[in-house]
Amino acid sequence: MHVPDGFLSPQITIPAYAVWAPLWAWAARRHFGRAAVESLPVIGTLTALAFVIQTIMIPVPGGTSTHLVGVTLLALLYHPLVAFVCESLVLLVQALFFGAGGVTVLGVNALAMGLLGPLAGWLAWKALHRVNGKVAVFVAAYASIQVATLAVAGALGLQHALSPRYFPLPVAVVLPAMLVPSLTAAGLAEGAYTVFALSLLRKANLRGVTLD
Amino acid sequence: MASRWTDPRASRALVLGWLAAVFGVSALADLRALGAAAAVSLLVFHRGLVRNVRRAARSAVPISVGLSAVSWLFLWAVQRTRPDVEPFVALALRTAVIAFLTFAVLDRVNLLRACEPWPTLSRLLVVTLAQIHALRLLATDSLQALRSRLVRKPGPRDVLRGAGGVTAAMVTLSTRNAREISDAMRSRGF
Repeated sequence: MHVPDGFLSPQITIPAYAVWAPLWAWAARRHFGRAAVESLPVIGTLTALAFVIQTIMIPVPGGTSTHLVGVTLLALLYHPLVAFVCESLVLLVQALFFGAGGVTVLGVNALAMGLLGPLAGWLAWKALHRVNGKVAVFVAAYASIQVATLAVAGALGLQHALSPRYFPLPVAVVLPAMLVPSLTAAGLAEGAYTVFALSLLRKANLRGVTLD
Repeated sequence: MASRWTDPRASRALVLGWLAAVFGVSALADLRALGAAAAVSLLVFHRGLVRNVRRAARSAVPISVGLSAVSWLFLWAVQRTRPDVEPFVALALRTAVIAFLTFAVLDRVNLLRACEPWPTLSRLLVVTLAQIHALRLLATDSLQALRSRLVRKPGPRDVLRGAGGVTAAMVTLSTRNAREISDAMRSRGF
């Protein structure tokens, strides 16, 4: 799902960095201070798990690729901003050590997959968790991946509108190419993974894991 | 040459230069300008050239070339006219040059040292990198164990059936492992 380096020009990536960098610094200071001592190992593990999940990518024509994201779990267990900080870290490690995604597009990818997606998932969970806990978690994860996909497709569509020579695929091609696999496969798998991983974490009764 | 970049100030300058270069390359759409940028990058970072070209060719290039090729074919099929190939070649080349520059610079700087002023970030980075390694080992071990239990090659159904158990083992083992690493780092002043 993430945009690789070279797919977006500085006209988009620099404003995205200008939003991402201060927000990341503020979120990291707020959620990763001394109070995070207990939760840090679990957060580290879930971040690593999200990393492993995201490396399994399926290329799609017209868009970029589709895969699970795995950070909705962090948004539900801790806070959407924790998911944002951790997803940014995952994207940075992927860009620097594995050549996936990229440094120039880090701001765009982090805002789409780390902030907008988990935030949508967290809001969906907030709205539904009193009705049915497991359904709420599934819907949250499903919604999260769809919103993230829409945001990535929107950024690519904007790039085409700004300069078709730079990115030759119009949004009419990018959007369905990215949304169809996301709606039919990745969203369902993300939902199932999040419900399963959450029930496992509850059973393991780990320090620093709470979800009312 | 290697020791030159162990100086934190030189490393920081190299990282800043690299950031400027990758953003500069990401602004290029003309194939000739991209070709020139590729040639300059290969000349400047000639030490470890084969290794870094190989790393870029293995990681970023297959995805960008594959996506460009599939997208070009897709547009051809949809529009029924042959799309201009140049923007697609430029797209793939841009990605390849940026990936090469990234690997070449990372070869020369120590990232963990760069994170020294932020101990919590260092701890999260170390815990995450250690867990990535542990999870990959665990996944390989699990697949090999599955292979040893079956007389035939495991198919997607076998892998799916075992996925629940593997994920359970991954989450619980790596969480304990992460806690140990985190406690150890904390006791050493991180």
